[in-house]
Amino acid sequence: MPAWVLALAATALVAAVWFSFRGVRGEPSKGRRALLLGFRVLAGLLLLALLFEPGLELRAESRVRARVALLFDTSKSMKFPASPGGPSRAEELQRWSKDHAEDLGKLASRFQLDFYGFDKELQPLDLSRLPTDPQGPSTDLLGAVTGAAANGTGGRPLAGLFIASDGSDNADLGSGVPAAAVQELRKLDAPLFALPIGAAAAKDLAIEKIAVDDFAFVRNMVTVDVFVSARGFPVTDVPITLTRDGQPVAQNTVHLSGDPARGEVKLSFVPDRTGKFAFTVKAPVYEGEAITQNNQKSFVLKVIRDRVRVLLVVGRPSWDVRFLRQLLKRDPNVDLISFFILRTPGDDPHSTQDELSLIPFPTQEIFQEQLKTFDLVLFQNFNHRPYHMSQYLDGIAQYVRDGGAFAMIGGDQSFSAGDYAGTPIEEILPVTLIPPGPTTIDETPAKLILTDAGLRHPVTELSSSAAASWAKLPELPGLNTTGPLKPSGQTLLQSNQGRPVLVVGEAGRGRVLALLTDSSWYWSFVAAGESQGPRAYETFWHSAIRWLVRDPALTPMSVASERPSFEPGTEAPALDVQVRGNDYQPVPGAKLQVMVTSAEDPVPHPLGAAVAGPDGSARVALPPLAAGAYKATVTARRADGTTVGEADDAFVVAPATRELTEAAPRPDLLQAMAQATKGKVVDTGEQLSGLPWRDPALVEVGQRTSKPLWDNWKVLVLLCLVAGAEWTLRRRWGYA
Amino acid sequence: MISRRHLLGLPLLLAAGRSLAFGDAARMTFAQLRHGGRWDPRPDGLSRLAWEIARRTSIETSPVVKAIAPSDPELFRFPLAVLSSDQAFPPPADNEVAELRRYLSYGGFLLLDDASAQRSSAFELSARQLMARIAPGAQMQKVGRDHVLYKSFYLLDGPYGRVMSMPDLEALEMGGRLGVLYSGNDLIGAMARDSLGSWEFEVTPGGERQREYAVRLGVNIAMYATCLDYKEDQVHIPFIMKRRRI
Repeated sequence: MPAWVLALAATALVAAVWFSFRGVRGEPSKGRRALLLGFRVLAGLLLLALLFEPGLELRAESRVRARVALLFDTSKSMKFPASPGGPSRAEELQRWSKDHAEDLGKLASRFQLDFYGFDKELQPLDLSRLPTDPQGPSTDLLGAVTGAAANGTGGRPLAGLFIASDGSDNADLGSGVPAAAVQELRKLDAPLFALPIGAAAAKDLAIEKIAVDDFAFVRNMVTVDVFVSARGFPVTDVPITLTRDGQPVAQNTVHLSGDPARGEVKLSFVPDRTGKFAFTVKAPVYEGEAITQNNQKSFVLKVIRDRVRVLLVVGRPSWDVRFLRQLLKRDPNVDLISFFILRTPGDDPHSTQDELSLIPFPTQEIFQEQLKTFDLVLFQNFNHRPYHMSQYLDGIAQYVRDGGAFAMIGGDQSFSAGDYAGTPIEEILPVTLIPPGPTTIDETPAKLILTDAGLRHPVTELSSSAAASWAKLPELPGLNTTGPLKPSGQTLLQSNQGRPVLVVGEAGRGRVLALLTDSSWYWSFVAAGESQGPRAYETFWHSAIRWLVRDPALTPMSVASERPSFEPGTEAPALDVQVRGNDYQPVPGAKLQVMVTSAEDPVPHPLGAAVAGPDGSARVALPPLAAGAYKATVTARRADGTTVGEADDAFVVAPATRELTEAAPRPDLLQAMAQATKGKVVDTGEQLSGLPWRDPALVEVGQRTSKPLWDNWKVLVLLCLVAGAEWTLRRRWGYA
Repeated sequence: MISRRHLLGLPLLLAAGRSLAFGDAARMTFAQLRHGGRWDPRPDGLSRLAWEIARRTSIETSPVVKAIAPSDPELFRFPLAVLSSDQAFPPPADNEVAELRRYLSYGGFLLLDDASAQRSSAFELSARQLMARIAPGAQMQKVGRDHVLYKSFYLLDGPYGRVMSMPDLEALEMGGRLGVLYSGNDLIGAMARDSLGSWEFEVTPGGERQREYAVRLGVNIAMYATCLDYKEDQVHIPFIMKRRRI
């Protein structure tokens, strides 16, 4: 019944009693007035009872036992020390659970306790089996809390949550608790009490992230973006160093202020050679840091060529020069720097110097200052003597031994005719030279024959039928004469009289090529006149340049790590090796020895061995390694002990996730989460049973019965008696 | 029997053979194209130019000029060819035109020299008709004074020759380089000597100075044919700009 009806009826009752009372106001006896009034009020009430039908409802009630979710961090970061030099965070947590056994018992007497372990996932936990060596790959605090809140057993109401963690979240809360997360936590409608573990070791400096491309171009500046974070540090400048093979290549300083502090620093350097290298970014380790492993981070960078930088030095313009220059200039992969001797000291231009376009030959600049910037140096029919270049020849030879490339192209000013016998250039050439004289040139026409070595070599691989392709090319008008071939040299092309035409070899870490003719242009223009086209010439020179500069696709022996990065301590790095000799033939049965160096330990350690299979390939598994940047050098030897070749590759051993690198304790995160739920951070000694858990608001309704109070004869009899008594008394006392 | 011209040319042969080489193959040898007209109007001119080139530059030249038909496969051993006359020449056969097209497309260089040195001459008409057949649709264009041809060895400022009839050289570009160069000023005539060794023609209007510049232009053409755009490499530019200002 609506409340206003009740109010109206009550008002009407009061008014009726009042008006009836006015009739007996003159009664001098207070007792009679009161008695009459009492009977009338009682009669009115009984009348109302008859009108409103009041009754009693009987219900059976019992309060539900609420639940408390208790979450314990089982991620890997819990393996780090809880305090500098102290037990691990996991051990600290175990100790807490033992110390609080009685406390938890008390809490269990009031609430249903649900225990969870959490890391990347949430799972039920037996508290007596809390792991001392947690293996969770990552930490998701928000996911764990919301998951535990939703997972309640039997639909019991949530009295609250308890979380024990280092707070080192690497999911949604990595950079703080955002507003959306706060909203989500408020929706739980239950307090969260947080126990920060390892808060005493909150001081930590970390290389959080490195941003760099997978590859870079040699001689082009590379910039590495390094993101640094620090907690528990005063305002400070931190020096950051970038090293390659343990040697610093760049350094910069990052300014950190605030707590926690984040900073970014750029490290730039110019790679001077191609290959795959392991780089390490390092920050100093400060006293009292929670984790020292994250003060450095390694990465692998592949340095490639954008363009092959070729220095072409020409003793005299000729058709051979003209066609080679045209080929190199057209090649978008070649950056050609050329110097032609257009006028010798004996020439008379019949003009002043200012009427000529000639420039001085910048020997010092080219052969001393700029030499190392070139991938390949080509001497084309160039005699060094008139230009006082003897002083630079040693530097050129050293440049080659250090990994450069050199080719000498024939002519009347080249090889023995160019007076290179006995010079450092002869030392690196794959052929020996003879003293200058009339025998240094042989004008007998030379028909080309591809040798056995040439059949397999990428430089002379013109087509699937290379031997026939070479044999069809125009014969050459003559050849430079040399002495015997050096042991390291390989003749790829020879004349029909057996004289070498094309010889390749290695000098130190560099490669050399000797083309003993000044008429390779015959393979282009003259061949075109014979309806063969210039394809042979172009293919030959492109292949020769790629081989000379060690294009990875043309390297006889190669090694490649299975992946650029491996997990520390658990994963065995694997290397795939292909063994081929300098003749590009597979070497089955070659014994492989793997020597490994690291940025921290430059001393080579033998860590693997294998034997090449029938196709010259092998896979070598190294033992699991500690985190770091590594270089593996594989040496292949034949059964007789002679070396086939050597190749290397770089790889990194580092955790794949941020769990172990961004593992500093984050009590601030736990504090913010607790605040969002009107909970709080508790300390180690605080009793959980004494915390203000939330009592359940809901009751369980069982049996319900209703008993009407008016629906019986006693009420009616009572009403008649009261009304009759009131009427009788009024009549007796003289009222109408 | 040795002729007087050969006798006079002997010093040239000796001068050209000053170094060891792989025979004539290594030396620059002019190929003079035979055609149905007067194909050799300046018999001594190219030998003289070859000698001047050898004397003034490091290029090794052969004083012997190879007279050759356009259809001769041997033409491809001579990447620099000259086609000249002082009159109209009969249109070459189709196979000759096809060979010339191949020659130029694979890297050959053709110098057209109008020995008549007259504007709209009969030779010019024949030459343009030939070019229209070799490269249909393409037109010879004026060679700007800033082209590398004018600085490939000497710093020059004009298309010098026996006369100064045409103000510009013209050229047909093929594959980013000049494949055909047309001189209307009798360039080779400026270098021709008679059997007694005297200059065969007067050079007008500039006299001997102009003759010298004509020789220099010939040297530059040979240098361009062997070095292409070498003088446009970055390293040369500041030097050349400085000297141009002097």
